[in-house]
Amino acid sequence: MSAASQSPRISASGLRMAALLLFIVIYTAYSAGPFVWVASMSLRTTTEIAANPYALPWPWHFDKFASAWLDSNYDTYFFNSVSIVLSAVALLTIIGGMAAHCFARYRFRFKGVVYFLIFSTIIFPPQVTVIGLFQIMVDYGLYNSRIGLVLVYVSIQLPVTIYILEAFFARIPKDLFEAARIDGYSEWAIFWKISLPVALPAISTTVILNTILLWNEFLYAVVLITEDDKRTLPLGVLRFLGDQLEDVGMIATGLMIAIVPVVLIYVFFSERLIQGMTAGAVK
Amino acid sequence: MAIVKLDKVGKSYGNGAVMAVQDVNIIIEDGEFMVLLGPSGCGKSTTLRMIAGLESITEGELSIDGERMNAVPAKNRDIAMVFQSYALYPHMTVRDNLGFGLKRRQADKALVKKRVDEVAASIGLTEYLDRKPHALSGGQRQRVALGRAIVRDPKVFLFDEPLSNLDAALRVSTRAELVRLHQELQATMIYVTHDQVEAMTMGDRVCIMSHGKVAQIGKPMDVYLNPASTFVASFLGNPPMNLMPATASETGIETGTGRIAGTGFAPGTKVTLGLRPEDLRPTDNAAEAVVSGRVVSLESLGAETLVHVEAGNDKPVILRGGRETPARLDDTIHLTCDPDMARFFDPETGLAIPTNTFTGDKK
Ligand SMILES: Nc1ncnc2c1ncn2[C@@H]1O[C@H](COP(=O)(O)OP(=O)(O)OP(=O)(O)O)[C@@H](O)[C@H]1O
Ligand SMILES: [Mg+2]
Repeated sequence: MSAASQSPRISASGLRMAALLLFIVIYTAYSAGPFVWVASMSLRTTTEIAANPYALPWPWHFDKFASAWLDSNYDTYFFNSVSIVLSAVALLTIIGGMAAHCFARYRFRFKGVVYFLIFSTIIFPPQVTVIGLFQIMVDYGLYNSRIGLVLVYVSIQLPVTIYILEAFFARIPKDLFEAARIDGYSEWAIFWKISLPVALPAISTTVILNTILLWNEFLYAVVLITEDDKRTLPLGVLRFLGDQLEDVGMIATGLMIAIVPVVLIYVFFSERLIQGMTAGAVK
Repeated sequence: MAIVKLDKVGKSYGNGAVMAVQDVNIIIEDGEFMVLLGPSGCGKSTTLRMIAGLESITEGELSIDGERMNAVPAKNRDIAMVFQSYALYPHMTVRDNLGFGLKRRQADKALVKKRVDEVAASIGLTEYLDRKPHALSGGQRQRVALGRAIVRDPKVFLFDEPLSNLDAALRVSTRAELVRLHQELQATMIYVTHDQVEAMTMGDRVCIMSHGKVAQIGKPMDVYLNPASTFVASFLGNPPMNLMPATASETGIETGTGRIAGTGFAPGTKVTLGLRPEDLRPTDNAAEAVVSGRVVSLESLGAETLVHVEAGNDKPVILRGGRETPARLDDTIHLTCDPDMARFFDPETGLAIPTNTFTGDKK
């Protein structure tokens, strides 16, 4: 043991480490805090919360989950969310994938114009388009329809999906496609057998991204869906917002039901997500 | 069984703004190994890709076995191609890479498997069948690319510089293996390279290209010995043929520092004289010198020595001597050669003047 390491003086790198740790702790508390708070409230009754908003849950009212699920229609909301998000994401992946494949691989007339038209939509904030959209949906009989919401979701997420996938497809060496052509495959078969599988990291990125975004989507859902049994999970809170009374405890329980799947996706797929975002050229 | 015929084939880009390939006429016989050779950018790959169907043909006609192919899509041409980058499907195992093309044509899985196993065994890939390409070395990937072509048993094999990513030793052994493969399969093969050693050692015939046009087609040795133009003469051989201006006289062809016997040219005719470095030899007899000059540099390559002789031309004349050469730096040296080995070109057009017009008897 050297004299230096025995002395109480803290080295520069130790100091840096401590500062970093402190930062991480504060950041974690900042981002996890609200989640922990909602989680604890989800196990407490509204009366308990009113008495002391920050107290730890005791006893644990797990029965609140059962009551939200069974008595407050959360089972319906949950399956609505699952079916709407899954259909939208599946459509997005296929349509976005095909569009990206074409943008990345073919030269065709008006390519620039088409590209511009698709991307120009992202400059309008949803608040601007939602009223017009509402009218269109009513006109086409898609108001208060799950299919209508799926279509809206597909169209709002399509540009960014195409953008991410196109960037990746463009990096796939064109020799691969040519080899497949010579191996006897049609353009259609090449899309399914080469483009999609090779672009799997990018595909999974868009799938995860779209799933999380659409799972949490509130604005379009609240405008376009009013019938209770067509609502998605984010609209579930409306159930507990009366004219006079807000059932804060049940809102927290409902939120937890909505949040947990997203958290699980993050926990299990975050590595995949980062991988896809930073994936290098295909070797 | 396939004869590939290119009839006045051309390729232009940007509505004729760039002519990448023009007026290419080649007939590749059944079972022939044809090498397309030329400097970078001369249109070799473009020609090959037109044969493959990866590039549209803007002029002329391509036929395989007499059938016009211009409008036939690549997938229906029954050809296989080995890419310089290998283009292995990264998400598939070696087995699936090999079988991918076959599966498209052959529904019976058992037959596909049998054929893949067979080919994998013949090129030593059996133990790698379950690996993905990223887990293979460069040489192994190259084999997979080769195997993928063989499995299909296509009418025509196309290769675009398949060896250029291998190290020197592997390149030599793969070269030999490709030659063996060609003898075994007796298939028509078209091979693009800019490496003249590959062209000389592998080709039944070589097609030398320059600026999108065919400069010469012939057996490697014929092309080497009788280049059709100064371009071919200075492209083939390392170092290439010595070219120097010369003028015909009553007694022979004068180079300014010497003379080569043999006539046939009217006195005063200007020609470009071509002499291969290995055909030159030093002589003490100044009277029989073809060129003379000062030794300006000596390159010892181990087996041979290259002697650069300054003889009053743009470029020094190079002599390929043995390991031991009597030449010393700054010495004046006389070089001579067998008049039969001299080649003559038209200084204006650069085209060869056929040798039988000047060798042998006087008119
Ligand atoms: N898409 C294109 N547009 C315009 N010109 C092109 C295009 N593709 C190729 N060319 C031109 O065609 C010519 C021939 O190219 P090609 O790839 O056939 O050369 P190469 O002989 O294979 O050369 P290398 O040995 O470097 O591979 C080049 O001059 C190139 O610039
Ligand atoms: Mg090339």
